Amino acid sequence: MTQPARALGPAPSPASARAVMERLAAQLGRAVQGKPVEVQRVVTCMVAGGHLLLEDMPGVGKTTLAEALARACALSFSRIQFTADLLPADILGAQVFHAQTATFSFRPGPLFRQLVLADELNRAPPRTQSALLEGMAQGQVSLDGETHPLPSPFTVVATQNPVDFSGTYPLPDSQLDRFLVRLSLGHPAPDVEARLLTTRGAASPLASVEAVTGPEELASLRDFAAEVKLDASVADYVVRLARATREHGDLERGASTRAVLALGSAARAQALWEGRDFVTPGDVRAMLVPCWAHRVLLRSAVQGVSARDEAAHLVEELSRKVAAPR
Amino acid sequence: MKRPLRLRLVLRDLGAGAAFGAMAVSGQLPVWVLAVFLLALVLALCDVRLVARHARLSALLLLIAAVLLGLRMTSGAMNAVVVACAFAGLISAQRLLSTPDNASDGQTHLTGLLMVAGGAALSGDMTYALCLIAFGVLASLSLALGVVEAAVPDGEPVPVRAVLLPLSGGVTFAVAGAIAFFVLFPRLNWSMVGPRSSPGFGAASSAGFSNTVRLGGAGTIKSNPRVVLRATLTPDPGRDALDAYWVGRTYDTFDGQEWTNVVGAQRTERQITLRPASDTLLHQRVELLPAYGGRTLVALESPSRLGNAVALTQSGTRASTVQLHGGGEVRFSITAPAYTYEAYSLPPDAKAGAASGLLSEERDQLLALPEHLDPRVAQLAASVLNGEREPLAAARKLVNHLQRAYAYTLDQGGTSEDPLADFLFVRKAGHCEHFATALTVLLRTQGISARLATGFFGGTRMDGGYLVRAGDAHAWTHVFVPGRGFVTVDATPPSHRTSQGFVLLEKLLAFYEAVEGRWRDSVVDYSFRDQFELASKLVRPPRRPAEGPSTPSRLPPARAWVTAAVVAFLVWRVGRLVARWPRRAVRLEATRFLDRVDALLARAHVPRHEGESLEELTPRLAREGHPLALALTPLTRRYLEARFGGRELREGEAEHLLKTLGRALEAEAARQAVKPAEQAGPTARAS
Repeated sequence: MTQPARALGPAPSPASARAVMERLAAQLGRAVQGKPVEVQRVVTCMVAGGHLLLEDMPGVGKTTLAEALARACALSFSRIQFTADLLPADILGAQVFHAQTATFSFRPGPLFRQLVLADELNRAPPRTQSALLEGMAQGQVSLDGETHPLPSPFTVVATQNPVDFSGTYPLPDSQLDRFLVRLSLGHPAPDVEARLLTTRGAASPLASVEAVTGPEELASLRDFAAEVKLDASVADYVVRLARATREHGDLERGASTRAVLALGSAARAQALWEGRDFVTPGDVRAMLVPCWAHRVLLRSAVQGVSARDEAAHLVEELSRKVAAPR
Repeated sequence: MKRPLRLRLVLRDLGAGAAFGAMAVSGQLPVWVLAVFLLALVLALCDVRLVARHARLSALLLLIAAVLLGLRMTSGAMNAVVVACAFAGLISAQRLLSTPDNASDGQTHLTGLLMVAGGAALSGDMTYALCLIAFGVLASLSLALGVVEAAVPDGEPVPVRAVLLPLSGGVTFAVAGAIAFFVLFPRLNWSMVGPRSSPGFGAASSAGFSNTVRLGGAGTIKSNPRVVLRATLTPDPGRDALDAYWVGRTYDTFDGQEWTNVVGAQRTERQITLRPASDTLLHQRVELLPAYGGRTLVALESPSRLGNAVALTQSGTRASTVQLHGGGEVRFSITAPAYTYEAYSLPPDAKAGAASGLLSEERDQLLALPEHLDPRVAQLAASVLNGEREPLAAARKLVNHLQRAYAYTLDQGGTSEDPLADFLFVRKAGHCEHFATALTVLLRTQGISARLATGFFGGTRMDGGYLVRAGDAHAWTHVFVPGRGFVTVDATPPSHRTSQGFVLLEKLLAFYEAVEGRWRDSVVDYSFRDQFELASKLVRPPRRPAEGPSTPSRLPPARAWVTAAVVAFLVWRVGRLVARWPRRAVRLEATRFLDRVDALLARAHVPRHEGESLEELTPRLAREGHPLALALTPLTRRYLEARFGGRELREGEAEHLLKTLGRALEAEAARQAVKPAEQAGPTARAS
């Protein structure tokens, strides 16, 4: 794998940031065809420095997407298949005894990569799921009283199957709240599927994905995105939206303060797509459903696709009801 | 306990002072109560809380004062309402001087309320209303500051500046509301509650007319500037100062000390309706003001007819009958604060006058002299006249002598056994009554009939009419000239005939009287009947000629609808203004620009989804390949930059962008117009 030496430049501008993001999206588009919007969202989430939750049927390209992301960004990658018997140590690593020196040393687990694909996260018991929490929140892992920093940038792409719930452990709210964006790819359009059928013969689609940026550039891109201006009126808009979810009769729980912050950073990254160094209400609205639909809790006890759709619908409806600043 | 806010205490004390003032303007409170309260107020304003340490002593003093007042009331010397008011003032004074804690604050405000209620029972004029408003404003501010002060934690400063501005706004709103309430709410007549004084600074006590004139009895009125009479004259003399005599009544008998009437008349006249008289007569429309305090009609010399007498009572105007008393005095038969009437008089220089038909007993009385008249008086008259027998010439000689040899003074010089001799031979100084009495008696000693006349002299111009003040009260002499009647002769030096008050004070008071007149007309006398009349005038259907074929409409006239529409519009506008108030503050240049863009797009009927913002519309149009997207994209970008990116629109940039958009819209409209025509062409031909 080539390590691109590209950097955002000494004085990054919205235009240069947008160029990097478009290059990334183009590479991802090679692996996941016919999903430009979703690909854009993935890049936005990456630039905003958040973790990504992919919720979809098996076999629509979730794993491919994650792997393509790692390749395009030239990040170290690991895939952890979550199963019912997976233990925290299987992810985090363990202290290994060396008989010759009679000492323990830490052997890092698969979590110690820059991009970790947590496949079918909801299949693992809560204890194992929560082993991810600290890493996602603080970028470090504590084991036997020792903290081990995770590589930077550290991003988790988790997947879960929204249909088959038997033998699964629904993700705890605290865990859900740590994913910046939830996406579902959905089945590709028929023509795309047909094209896949004809072209995807010999080589894997991942083979055509090239590294177009590196960890340093990604880090500076994230720093730049964090600097994007968010006007007081837009901040007020986000807060009003959050309050609307908290006061909504159909919602058991509205957006948390972390959700408010998450929407802010997602909107900042979204603004870069337009080559802007400031956030508009449109940016907020664009990221509202991906950011918040998985964080609000419906009063009705439905689960699965219908609940997911209903939450997305509710949040979208709120964005129409709450007046945007003019 | 934290230190109370000084400003709040000052406001509280001033509010109590205003409430006390509401009672004090009636002039009925005992002087010592006034003194005690004023002292307490001054001490309280200086933050000296005397009673804080001597609470028991002050309570004892209050008890003594209560007993004293009670005794005065039971003895009939004081009215119960006045006693209650005086005691409320004393309690308030005691509270002002006690430790400023929550209890004393509340009690101070409560006594303030009691005092304004008492003031309403004693007085109801403009000064009272001003005190009431002052109390309302000051007490409200103080109470509100108290609430804020209580909410602020110990040791932290009270944000007085931040609080006072909205507070003042609120209080202004409340006062405006109270005034509206006062004007709109049906009026009650409060005059039965207590003895109502004449308004302002107390009654002008000596301006009225009594049955006697005691020499040296009323000297200080010369400096009283209260306006007692307002008159409009036709034809208008057009002079700034009117040197005319307003006669109230005459006296024919002098007993050496006081003037009375022997020949009297006591009969009630029916209401006379005056009609326009001949051109030679001077018409007057006179208004007797509350400061006048009497019921005697006053008219310019020489009055020939009085009529159209109307009493302005608390419950509205009322036609009044008049009574004829001795000395030619005409009085209103009902008591009211103010009156109006009309009079016709002979012009001052008219030769033809009243007939000389005097009764014989009346003629005898005009020559009567006091029993113990000092013989020097007759000698003086004889020496001055030196044989002159013609009444007017004799009178002029005596006037010349009196004005030359005697000085004018308002100093009473104490009571005297023989005030006339005292004036003529000892002090050689006196006021108008001395001069007039001297002239009258001197004439009588020489067999010339004369009598004393009292009333007012002068009149200052104001608003096209004339004002006469209490200080213009005057006395002069009527000399009887056979064949001509009574002729006015004034012995008082001309410079001392009119009011002797300060010019500035008179001007200020004239202004006050003018405002008070308006106040009385439009507020105090604005009765329930006036309100009702105003309302019924508004909604009364228009009168139709009786012979008209159509039945009269029962609907209100157009002006009622117009008024209702205007009121509704005003209410709606104010409502919108209030609703928009907070939003308007954050209205930005970029937002105004967006409004104009939106308006342009709406006028051009650009297809737009409901609630779709410009930020959403532009990319949608671009996706759809709409030709307007080209014009809208830079404009939208610029708006977003200006509104959310902190890069404000340059001067004229908005206009430029709007012009570009306007052109694009025009082009699009032209394109749209051409397209249907092209499509319609073949169809049209086919049909």
